Amino acid sequence: MDFLLDSLVSAVLMAISFDKELIEIVWVSLRVSSSSTALASIIGVPLGIFIAFENFRGKRLLITILNTMLALPTVAIGLFVYALISRRGIFGPLDLLYSQKAIIIGQVILITPVIITFTIAAINHIDERYRKTAMTLGANRRQTAIVIFLEARYGIIAAIVAAFGRVISEIGISMMLGGNARGFTRTITTAMALEYDKGEFVLAVALGIILITISFGLNLLFHVLQGRGSK
Amino acid sequence: MILYSMRNVSRCFGEKKVLDLEELEIEKGHIYALLGPNGSGKTTLLNIMGFLDQPTSGQVWFKEKQVFFNERTLQKHRRKVVMVQQNPILFTTSVYKNLEFGLKVRKISKEQRRKIIDESLDLVGLRHMINEPAHKLSGGETQRVVLARALALTPEVILCDEPTASVDLENQLAITRLLKDINSEKGITLVFTSHDKSQASALPHFKLFLEQGRISVMSYENTFPAKIFSLDEQYSTCVIQNELELNIPLKKAGPCRLRIEPELIVLSTSIPEPAEPNTMTGRILRISEDIKGIRIGIDCRIHLTAIISKADYQNLSLFVGNTVTVNIPPQAVTILDSRI
Repeated sequence: MDFLLDSLVSAVLMAISFDKELIEIVWVSLRVSSSSTALASIIGVPLGIFIAFENFRGKRLLITILNTMLALPTVAIGLFVYALISRRGIFGPLDLLYSQKAIIIGQVILITPVIITFTIAAINHIDERYRKTAMTLGANRRQTAIVIFLEARYGIIAAIVAAFGRVISEIGISMMLGGNARGFTRTITTAMALEYDKGEFVLAVALGIILITISFGLNLLFHVLQGRGSK
Repeated sequence: MILYSMRNVSRCFGEKKVLDLEELEIEKGHIYALLGPNGSGKTTLLNIMGFLDQPTSGQVWFKEKQVFFNERTLQKHRRKVVMVQQNPILFTTSVYKNLEFGLKVRKISKEQRRKIIDESLDLVGLRHMINEPAHKLSGGETQRVVLARALALTPEVILCDEPTASVDLENQLAITRLLKDINSEKGITLVFTSHDKSQASALPHFKLFLEQGRISVMSYENTFPAKIFSLDEQYSTCVIQNELELNIPLKKAGPCRLRIEPELIVLSTSIPEPAEPNTMTGRILRISEDIKGIRIGIDCRIHLTAIISKADYQNLSLFVGNTVTVNIPPQAVTILDSRI
């Protein structure tokens, strides 16, 4: 018990004293997660809007596949991307393995289905009367889509927040594609795993506190946005 | 001018046929009430008239041009017709931006937009709420802002689905008055659905009764089927619904439809002379205020509506249930169709 308390106190002191190594790890994590979330949003939000609006053959099958992809294990994505970007892979010459870019690619694959499905849900959740109102006021299809997008904005932002929460806390992709190189690809989760292996708990606990704080903050934001969206 | 013309229009949802119209014509500048029970096809018809839905079969003409239900044509027509839905919705933004949307879509300049928005909100008495967030408005205020949003676009037709269904009595009266003004002052054709019998009797020029997707009756206020029997060289006797006889200056004979102008009917409380032509007694069924005066519903073997001035109403001291003498002068009778 003393050991846990000592670790906790030391970790809090480390966090509030802005320890250089700690800040470096948190910065890499935030940078990588923000980049992958931004990229996945650029791909996922328009795709979600398109799928929600258009009626095409195979739409239900596509939504089923996207829903299945929500449960993709991170290690499976890590393995799949590894096969593509390793020296022997088709993208081997790009020399992406064990770089932040590699982590971002894997994370984009992980969260794009999250953003697409949540965007579809947010748009489907919007009252049909908004579409009809926009149309009767003379809007064309694009202008109607913008109205629906604006009405669904809180739901879509919530989707992006949820996706960020998913990537900041994942470990499989970061470990397999990033390689946990200090100051370069070492993220909060990979650093925590490493410190645990070493039996050094202070940094691991400090990072754990930060990760939990970020997760809590994101969840809080997610619920606030969902609440506003359902008004 | 005939604004809408529909021939053999049907609309099916799966196996169910919810609308099945042989023929329907809507004239420009009038107020039409669509009446009927739930599921009778009123909203479906409004959606087709608002170019928000397309019929499963049949032809529709708008302003004497056939409507082809492709997105481009529909969008062009939608700019002339605005539909106000049952339980209408405002975008999650300010009142101003709600009114601005349709104007922006029409590429109207910013200064012009501001002017139109101010005028439209003045019409519904809500200019002071121009910067309010729309979701903070009450049901009645929302309904009025929605009407202002429609008016701002100066459409040729406004379609209202149950315009007073979800508002309190005060707002119901305000909205009914507003709808009447929109029609009389701006000449906008108005088609509305309603369950409100007083609104349905006070507002429209025409009433269309829908039942299981078909128009069962189309009635005009004080319009009746009648038979005319020639009396002499100058006058004929007109028998309305086998109940009431009127002498009218007409030489021909045969079946017809006729209209009695409500404003030309003369009411009095004196007892009529037995031989006095076109005069009868009736019982007052309802009294309501109208933009033209006081509207009085009378049962004198046929159900008749008379409109008298406020001064006459006060002088006569009329109450519901009173017996009143009704005089229908020959000039109040108009023969509507030419079967004779």
